[in-house]
Amino acid sequence: MRRMPRCSVLVVLGCLVILPTAVAGQGGPHPDFSGLWTTYAEPGQARGGGAGRGGGASLPLTDEARKKVEAYRALIGDSGASPGGFCLGTGMPGSMLGSGGYPMEILQRPEQINITYEAHNEVRRVYLGERIVPMADRLPGRDGHSSGHWEGDTLVVDTTHLVEQVDQRWPHSDQARIVERYRLTTDSAGTKVLVAEMTMTDPVFYTKPVTETKKWAYVPNGHLLPYECAEEGWRIHLEELEKKAKESKR
Amino acid sequence: MKQLWSLLSALALVAAFGTTAAAHHSAVQYDFTKTATITGVVLKFQAINPHMRLTLRVTDAKGTRDLEIEGHSTNNMYRAGYRDGLIKVGDTITVHMAPLRDGREGGYMVAAVAANGTRFGAQTAAERAGERERAEGK
Repeated sequence: MRRMPRCSVLVVLGCLVILPTAVAGQGGPHPDFSGLWTTYAEPGQARGGGAGRGGGASLPLTDEARKKVEAYRALIGDSGASPGGFCLGTGMPGSMLGSGGYPMEILQRPEQINITYEAHNEVRRVYLGERIVPMADRLPGRDGHSSGHWEGDTLVVDTTHLVEQVDQRWPHSDQARIVERYRLTTDSAGTKVLVAEMTMTDPVFYTKPVTETKKWAYVPNGHLLPYECAEEGWRIHLEELEKKAKESKR
Repeated sequence: MKQLWSLLSALALVAAFGTTAAAHHSAVQYDFTKTATITGVVLKFQAINPHMRLTLRVTDAKGTRDLEIEGHSTNNMYRAGYRDGLIKVGDTITVHMAPLRDGREGGYMVAAVAANGTRFGAQTAAERAGERERAEGK
């Protein structure tokens, strides 16, 4: 048996050291974003909330979009109603920009990255390489359809096939396209930070691209909690059935 | 923990963040600038999302009545100290809540002290006000 040259052994050992923090594929090892992430706060500052509803006063909306958003807000009035109030996920880009202040979990494989936002168990799947679904085979939705590729250590996610949403802070039409750029950094306190830069273009709703940056802080050994939003409604329904059953026996 | 409370104290946002069509409600009916504290016996408790639900039997000078109370999501309460089994039917607990704006009794549970003395939940409006006054040297 031939002996492996000493330098080769060192290269193999080096790879073993690198593997836990990088994922191979797509032309080489890339940063591993896997884990639990929560809204980042600069050292010494409190964390803010997540993506609220109905903001966007300073957004460069077209006249058509402004009318639709105003009509929606007039409809809702002061009821406080929201998609989340009906157990509906935030939808893009509100989900990636905060998701109500709840954490998110990323599970990363070379060909697919799953992002689960705790609120409403909202899940986005980012397909890479050969897993990318052809445009003609995509279905539209509130989070659209996402494909990704790497540009060095930056993950670039392209989201299309969104449905029109006037019910979130960043309203958009079904023609919206969202590009996210994710990269890892470390702050002055040593916290691992995931920086997400978002650019949304939408010729129907916006006169120019909309950009936002969201930072997520890594939570070592963090766990996402279940969020069965519909449970309360189901229990109330059962209570109503029980009440009716009792009344009918009288 | 302080960071968690800061998160939760910003949660008028999350308070409005969910429930179902059948149970549709938002937090607009509650006054998050005020704190009402009430002690009673737990008749019913559900640690669910998007809002905890509690029926509390209160007995005081006004008499005995049952109050329906909802609260922050179980997930947010968990991150602010709540654990499974902390509240049981029959327990006497104290609830800090944002009261209903229309003057009726009841409210939105922001924090609570369980029968074993464990406090969980967010910073209340009263606690935030006290913190501000201390910071301003009043």
